[in-house]
Amino acid sequence: MIFLLMAYALIFLVNVPGLVKRKERKELVVFFILYIIGFVLGLMYALDIPIPSPMKGLQYLISDKLGLKYPQH
Amino acid sequence: MGTDKGKINGRQLLFMFAGFIQGSALLIDFTVGITEHQTWMVILAGLIVTIPFILSYAALAKRFPGNDLVRINDMVYGRFIGKALSLYYIFFLSMTLSFNILDVGELYVNFLMPDTPFFFLLSVFAAVIAYAVYKGIEALAKVSHLFVATSLFVIITTSVLLADQMDFSRFLPLFELPFIKLLQGIHIMSIIPFGETIAFLMIMEHMNDTKGPARYSFFGVLVGAASLLIVSVRNTAVLGRTQTIWTSPSFQSIRLIDIGTVLTRMDFLIGIAQTMLIFFKCSIFLYALTTALSQLFGLKSYKPLVLPVVGIEVIIAATVFQSPVDHAEITQNAGIIYSAPLIYLFPPLTLLIAKIRGLPKTERSRGK
Repeated sequence: MIFLLMAYALIFLVNVPGLVKRKERKELVVFFILYIIGFVLGLMYALDIPIPSPMKGLQYLISDKLGLKYPQH
Repeated sequence: MGTDKGKINGRQLLFMFAGFIQGSALLIDFTVGITEHQTWMVILAGLIVTIPFILSYAALAKRFPGNDLVRINDMVYGRFIGKALSLYYIFFLSMTLSFNILDVGELYVNFLMPDTPFFFLLSVFAAVIAYAVYKGIEALAKVSHLFVATSLFVIITTSVLLADQMDFSRFLPLFELPFIKLLQGIHIMSIIPFGETIAFLMIMEHMNDTKGPARYSFFGVLVGAASLLIVSVRNTAVLGRTQTIWTSPSFQSIRLIDIGTVLTRMDFLIGIAQTMLIFFKCSIFLYALTTALSQLFGLKSYKPLVLPVVGIEVIIAATVFQSPVDHAEITQNAGIIYSAPLIYLFPPLTLLIAKIRGLPKTERSRGK
């Protein structure tokens, strides 16, 4: 948890002052969207909350629902 | 012009292609369990199948000079479908990057540093690739030849040192596998080492060579494929059918090097070479991913996105698969199937539509 907070504080300090100074609003908005997604995912990982795997979802859709898979050997 | 002003020349592109493909040397293990001692054939067949598609990427880059994949999609398919297609590519880049970060973690935890926390390894590695990408494509291109040279040195040296343990009768019998296994092996090979070069459509716009990227891409792919072929032949000649039972045939074969009990435990060489090459491959993926995102949102620079994206990728890498078995099973089926349209279908289709619509000339005249 401390590692996560330190990492995200560092990411904030490296990027945000420069973006604010240069008044890059669009960059700042996209940065914060990704920053918040990353922080929430990191928090879930640190707190052992299960994170859904996109590949598991794809496997369910492609292999289980559409039946597109190679035969098991 | 994209969000990075760096320039690369044709020779650098060649080395980037070669290093990128060499970075998949450990990933041929996904195929070894299926195609056993015929993996070398599958590598060759995968190369032959994928070369025309890779040339179609180069043709697209030549047709749309100074434009990356996201802008090409916008021009050819329009803003709405173009953006949707770019999102599909971004998902592919994001997933593939996380798999490669995971590969490094598994490499270290299984073979090199088993007592180090897995998440710590992923984070440190991701921080290093973030730093490299922050420096821009030109910096990566300038060192690409060093990665390729190191990799070739390790592959050739280890093959020579293992020469006395090679038995070429282990390649027999030929054409023994059922067709479906060969097909799956070729599919894996054509997507994982070769098809992933689609990421270069975010890089080729930086070329300063007017002759176009086709021949450099072609020869780069050949160097990379030759490296994979030597690795596969070495592993099969040394381990034979037993290579299917090892987690990593490359590590296992290198561990057998024993020259007068002096030159032993050479597996650290594979560790060094693979760390460098996967670092290089991940850097290219991260660069492609962040520049694609910055293009999609119309940003001036990709750099503010590098660290937040890396933060997300590390978590995906740590959680996407439950185990190495899960990793192999999903990659060998859903992983290669969902990415097939991005590699086989859309680039030639985009090229065809561009030719029919006379793009980008029409686009330019509309601008005037």
